[in-house]
Amino acid sequence: MNLGNVRRGVLAALMASAVVAGASAAELPIRIGAPLPLTGALSPEGVKLQQGYELWKDTVNAAGGIAVGSVKRLVEIVYYDYQSMTPKAVQLAEKLATDDKVDFMFGPFGSGASKAASTVAERYAIPMLAPTASSVEVYDQGYKNLFGTFTANDTLSEPMADIIKAKAPNVKRVAILARNDLYPLALGQEFEKSSKKRGLEVVYFEKYAINTLDHASALTEIKAAKPDWIIATGYINDLILIRKQMADLGIKAQAVTMINAPAYQEFIDATGTLAENVTTATWWHPAVRYESKDVFGSSVKYSEMFQKKFNALPDFTNATGSSVGVVLQMAIERAGSVDRDKVRETLVKGGFDTFFGPLTFNGVGQAISYVPPVIQIQGGKTVVIYPEVIKGGDLQLGVR
Amino acid sequence: MLYVQILINGILLGGLYACIAVGFSLVWGVLNVINILHGSFIVLGAYLAFFAYTGLGIHPYLFAPFAALVLFMLGYAVQLTVINRVIEAPVLVTLTTTFGLALLLDNLMLVVFAANFRKVSLKPPLGVIDLSDTFPSIDLIVPVDRLASMLFALVFVALLYWLLRHTVVGRAIVAVRMDRYAATLMGVDTTKVFAVTFALGAALAGAAGALLSPIFPISPLAGTTYLGKAFVICVLGGLGSVSGALVGGLVLGVLESFGALFFGPEHSLTLSFTVLILLLIFRPNGIMGKRGFV
Amino acid sequence: MKRSPIAIVGLGVLVLVVIILPFTATNYLLRLTTIAFMYIALASSWNIVGGFIGYPSFATAAFFGIGAYASGILRGASSLPLPATWLFGAAAATLFSLLVGPAILRLRGHYFAVASLVLAAVLREITNAATTLTGGGMGLNLPAVGAINVDVQTRLYYVSMLVAAALTIGLATLIWRSRLGWAMRCIEQNEDAAIVLGVNTLATKILGFAASAATAGLVGAIYATWIGYIDPTDAFDDLLSVKPIIMAFIGGVGTIFGPVAGAIIFLVLEEFVWRNVLNFHAGILGIIIVALLVFMPGGIGSIGRGIEKLRAYGRAGRTSDISGAAPPVVPS
Repeated sequence: MNLGNVRRGVLAALMASAVVAGASAAELPIRIGAPLPLTGALSPEGVKLQQGYELWKDTVNAAGGIAVGSVKRLVEIVYYDYQSMTPKAVQLAEKLATDDKVDFMFGPFGSGASKAASTVAERYAIPMLAPTASSVEVYDQGYKNLFGTFTANDTLSEPMADIIKAKAPNVKRVAILARNDLYPLALGQEFEKSSKKRGLEVVYFEKYAINTLDHASALTEIKAAKPDWIIATGYINDLILIRKQMADLGIKAQAVTMINAPAYQEFIDATGTLAENVTTATWWHPAVRYESKDVFGSSVKYSEMFQKKFNALPDFTNATGSSVGVVLQMAIERAGSVDRDKVRETLVKGGFDTFFGPLTFNGVGQAISYVPPVIQIQGGKTVVIYPEVIKGGDLQLGVR
Repeated sequence: MLYVQILINGILLGGLYACIAVGFSLVWGVLNVINILHGSFIVLGAYLAFFAYTGLGIHPYLFAPFAALVLFMLGYAVQLTVINRVIEAPVLVTLTTTFGLALLLDNLMLVVFAANFRKVSLKPPLGVIDLSDTFPSIDLIVPVDRLASMLFALVFVALLYWLLRHTVVGRAIVAVRMDRYAATLMGVDTTKVFAVTFALGAALAGAAGALLSPIFPISPLAGTTYLGKAFVICVLGGLGSVSGALVGGLVLGVLESFGALFFGPEHSLTLSFTVLILLLIFRPNGIMGKRGFV
Repeated sequence: MKRSPIAIVGLGVLVLVVIILPFTATNYLLRLTTIAFMYIALASSWNIVGGFIGYPSFATAAFFGIGAYASGILRGASSLPLPATWLFGAAAATLFSLLVGPAILRLRGHYFAVASLVLAAVLREITNAATTLTGGGMGLNLPAVGAINVDVQTRLYYVSMLVAAALTIGLATLIWRSRLGWAMRCIEQNEDAAIVLGVNTLATKILGFAASAATAGLVGAIYATWIGYIDPTDAFDDLLSVKPIIMAFIGGVGTIFGPVAGAIIFLVLEEFVWRNVLNFHAGILGIIIVALLVFMPGGIGSIGRGIEKLRAYGRAGRTSDISGAAPPVVPS
């Protein structure tokens, strides 16, 4: 242990002398560590997040970098592929902290991996911005270094249930089919709560296993239960299959909600006409209209820039990838320093106007400051139906 | 009525399962190779069908023979260049070799096709046969695309059966299946038979992929799920027999459907794997209890 | 066992490095070394069944996962010290092996391979479904070790995993030199002949299976508390069953030090490929696996003298042991 301390001491002295020696240290890029699932089960999402990160990085660097006090410093993102394996994500977070010595970190994909990797960020006191962690279980560990730009799961279920209650008074019976996995299951349970709260009867609630290849039995039971509103949660492949098999079994309902796949263009492509009138909720959509003080200027400009770079409209996963970048940038600029403690303080204060929405975090680091839009697929396009200020259409009933 | 509908679902699913497993069973039975690549071959077939449909407008059912042909050639090449070199090695070596090949193929598909989930969405959709339209008291429904995929799969299985029974190559394969060494003594060129058998297994996977493309989402990662099913079905039906794969598939489909109904959908996989272990222990030759050769 | 001077020097250097590392290396290098110990332990653990007995076992992931979950659940529910939860994990895996072993060890060849492969799949689904106990798909977060800092924790797991690896190698050596090891080698050569020789084959296989389970379970248990988060997909990952086999193949199946060398080589390869290729590392790993298997066991000799020598070393150790310690075996 002594040897190690001596080595560290020497290193610290060397670094200090380098800082004193002049501006050379200030011109070093700000390093951000980003463990991503670029291969394996979560790779579609991993790639989307990376696109979001890259767009932000390129935009900032094209503008000369992040203004730290009076100097501008470029951004460098260190990517590692954690192969969709959570333990590997934890291992890489530690590598980024100790080996690559990054200044800040972006979280891995999803609630489970974010929860696991945030332990490392906390140990090394590195602020970690989680782009895709929505389940409250991620945050209730009371960590000081975790900040997430997704609002809690119930902010998706509550507005949806409100709209159904208001626009479809005949809906009485609800069926819920949830994937047995951290986020989809937690979301299913939120929908159950939101439904019951409004006096709706939950006539069916079942979980299905990860890697299920057939939903016919569950859907046959759902059909027999005659629900007016069907809610399914899961990842995109699950929901494509469930939607297809609903049609196979001739299931009709006044409303069908699937979360979050319909917000992706792939869902519409893969289900074709079956996507019609399916509703979903998501944290961001190209139709939102936020004016922002970040490097993009507004949601509209963000969409334009994304389209120019990737030749497609951004979806919420792309956008949240960029959102963690802009929040970090604004926090560094306000702090006037890359000192982790100072940046953490400004993050805690919140009040960031971004293209993703106004961002302020609660006591445990989860965003609480914006209303996620509710959308519906109408005519093969996603249309925002809530909140009122940005809506492009009204809820249409009837899914066949 | 609920039970009848579940039974129909199960039989349709079982037909698709049989189609997934036949090629796997053939290779296992004849070559004594557990081909981990099989699931990835199915996915490749599905991708080919997807691009044929979206790019050239060729219907997946029409494309299935072409998918089979492409995969036949790929399978032949893989067998000649790699598998043949380890064919005499213990099961561990052959299995791990195909595992390595599956890692490679899956990663290649991930890079080339990207990880996005796709599905062939037929225009117009084939729709459903709703019995309650004609008989209001009978509330049963049959999806046409599943039925059609199952029937076409049966055609391929029948073709294989005919091939094994009535052609020289087929007879040679059956001979090797029964007794590899005796067949060699009889003048059968086993290297060639192995290559043809492996290629046939791959061809059946390719056809299965095309037939499944309108039904299941396609992704480079779907291979392991198909493979898991193929394992269970082979053990259920008995190794290396065409009719065994058919029976195994149907039994598994019906079993899973009722399992999901009685125990809840989250337990249907557990159920099928448990059945597999029990069968291995108590009836290692499959539920039909005999070693089928065709 | 007689070893060449080079091997002894190599071993000495290795021991020295292992002792010095905790004082000099970064936390990440220590983490990597800890993984090396983990791989060594898993490869040696598999080798008892797959190498000594010659049974194609894919059960490592099942044992590992049970160890991880058993210790994880106990740790969440009690305030027992870490080593106690690890022993509990090892015990749970052993118990499991004693339950399923007598059934599936009657199977041979492919049937055994499939049955052992499916064990992990069943356990994965059960763990997923048993939400109240395991947290299901939400995974299990383990409380971190109390008020000690990161550097100490890293070294704690370094030492723990090192001990696990040493225990596994020790146990394997003990078995290898005992009558049990002789019985295993008999089964490996020819199971039917072993029965004729009066070997209680089933009991031998069950003991070997249990030894493999205990060690893999111990590793899983340490791993769970180390990473601090487990979920069913990762704890019962099929790769955990396949990787140890490949490591043993690289170094030499059925020897004591083959799996150790193989594990280190594998980790170096894996880390090197993974570092240099962002999203095609699985593919390259696949190519390496295929190349190793195609060129090595066939002895085609086209892979270069270095590896040939390594294999020759492995083979020599093995055959001399058989001829030295055991009566002649009926040729198969």
